[in-house]
Amino acid sequence: MALLEVHNLVKAFGGLNANDDVSFVIEKGELLGLIGPNGAGKTTCFNCIAGMFPPTSGRIVFDGEDVTGLPAHEMARRGLARTFQVYTAGGDLTVGENVLVGCFMHTRSRSSARSKADGILEQMGLKEFRNQLVSELPVAAQKRVTMATALGTDPKLLLLDEVAAGLNPSEIEATMAGIRRINAEHGVTVMLIEHVMELVMNISHRVIVLDYGRKIAEGCPKDIVRDPQVIKAYLGERYVREHATEFGGSAIP
Amino acid sequence: MEAIRNTLDFSDFPKTDLGVALAVLVFLFCFPLFPHSAFAMATMIQFFIFSLYGMGWNTIGGYGGQVDLGKAQYVGIGAYTTMVCLLRWDIPFWVSMPVGACLSICWSFIIGYPLFKLKGHYFAIATIATSLVLKDLFEVWKFVGAARGLGILPYKYHPPDYWRLIFKEDIYYYYIIFAFFIVGLLYMNWFRKSRLGYQLRSIKDNEEVARSLGINVHWAKIKTYAIATAFVSIVGSFHAVYIKNIEPEDTMSLDISILIALMAMLGGAGSLWGPVIGAGVLIPLKSYLKEWLGASAGLLGIDLIIYGLIIMIISAFEPRGLWGIVEKYRRRRRK
Repeated sequence: MALLEVHNLVKAFGGLNANDDVSFVIEKGELLGLIGPNGAGKTTCFNCIAGMFPPTSGRIVFDGEDVTGLPAHEMARRGLARTFQVYTAGGDLTVGENVLVGCFMHTRSRSSARSKADGILEQMGLKEFRNQLVSELPVAAQKRVTMATALGTDPKLLLLDEVAAGLNPSEIEATMAGIRRINAEHGVTVMLIEHVMELVMNISHRVIVLDYGRKIAEGCPKDIVRDPQVIKAYLGERYVREHATEFGGSAIP
Repeated sequence: MEAIRNTLDFSDFPKTDLGVALAVLVFLFCFPLFPHSAFAMATMIQFFIFSLYGMGWNTIGGYGGQVDLGKAQYVGIGAYTTMVCLLRWDIPFWVSMPVGACLSICWSFIIGYPLFKLKGHYFAIATIATSLVLKDLFEVWKFVGAARGLGILPYKYHPPDYWRLIFKEDIYYYYIIFAFFIVGLLYMNWFRKSRLGYQLRSIKDNEEVARSLGINVHWAKIKTYAIATAFVSIVGSFHAVYIKNIEPEDTMSLDISILIALMAMLGGAGSLWGPVIGAGVLIPLKSYLKEWLGASAGLLGIDLIIYGLIIMIISAFEPRGLWGIVEKYRRRRRK
């Protein structure tokens, strides 16, 4: 069953169409990757879905309900959570308090919010950092904080915006495992924007490619890496030569 | 039950904080029992009044990060409601105070809705403007005494009058406002760890993130603004019966608004002790400087210069105020 349907999404900033007639569907339980070159409109697409701003035209259906143009906090209440690419960590909230804010969405009771936050901190390996400011943490832990905070709202759909950017290979490995666990064990549908191909191609069930605001390809990772349009727009010949075999295909001649 | 436990839960403060706080409270409780001048007594009452104003401001200004420079209008609404009720209809303080708070809250909703569409400096300027407009209205409104204001004639009553809060000696006012102070402090202790408290801090940190966590940012700000308003209005009512003479130029002036915000910021915006520390430093400074320097040497206004200096120094070195310095030091020591 479809959890999210995006129909002919258009978002224009002045004369520029950051998203141009984008349509796709996310099934319940799916792990969907969204890739494309810088400025392709990936984050804009996230922002439209999450209600940060209304789309110029098009329709968004979430969990069977038309949610086009609903504000972000309403989307959050309906079960959509997201992380941010640039996490401003200048505030005076500690890691534990950050996670707590998300946990307060469904309850007023401090004790239940707190025990839920404790569980999430434990699960995301953030317990040792709980009394520190987010800005004091290493990047990898900061990224985990953003995910943990989003998880506190009990999302049905989690939008992850470049959670692996700036991480080293072993941290990417850990992040990958973390996302898989969120998806498989907690039954959270995940959509992720990522430039780290190793991560996207490994964990996504399906991948959507945007270029200049348009959807240019959609399919399972091993088909995407062989799509000539995607190679031209984004992946590049070298990537495909080096990695194509990993996805069960033979190298492209 | 949980609410009571949360109100009394100070467990996240270090023992030294609680020790100092307790010592200060004991001192404040015993102060009137020691020999003191009338001037010192008046200063102490001013200290309580302004720390309560500061606590109210701290909800929206400190935790929420919305620099509100228009709190004087709510001092005015509270003070005038109590005064008018008493003089026109002989309605006692304990009735007129909640009425004033309700009126203030209504007004705060009316102007809060458009005000919070603004951000940063624009918001601050707009709060000043609304406050000044209201002050100007009161200055021409005959029913509330226009520019000359209203005054209580104490000989008409029979002090001590606990209903109307009319007393001859300041010590009565001292203990009443002291009780308000304790209640205010406990409420703030509840507030800072409430859902709204955390939501506000998240809003201050980053509004986009706050929205994505299901927080209706606009509404959360309006609600908090109403809480801040209620605080200020209630204390404004007290202020009226204590001072016994109110006029728009005094009660609702921009000076009051700025002093309220300043104290909380000097002490440490967004912390429980901040407004109390700020009032504890600024109010005695203000009254004694005026007393010693201003009147005697003809240097009226030097207190303002010294204030200005303090503000400049604080904002240059530690924007989070005196309490920010303490916290920075502690953080460094823990590492």
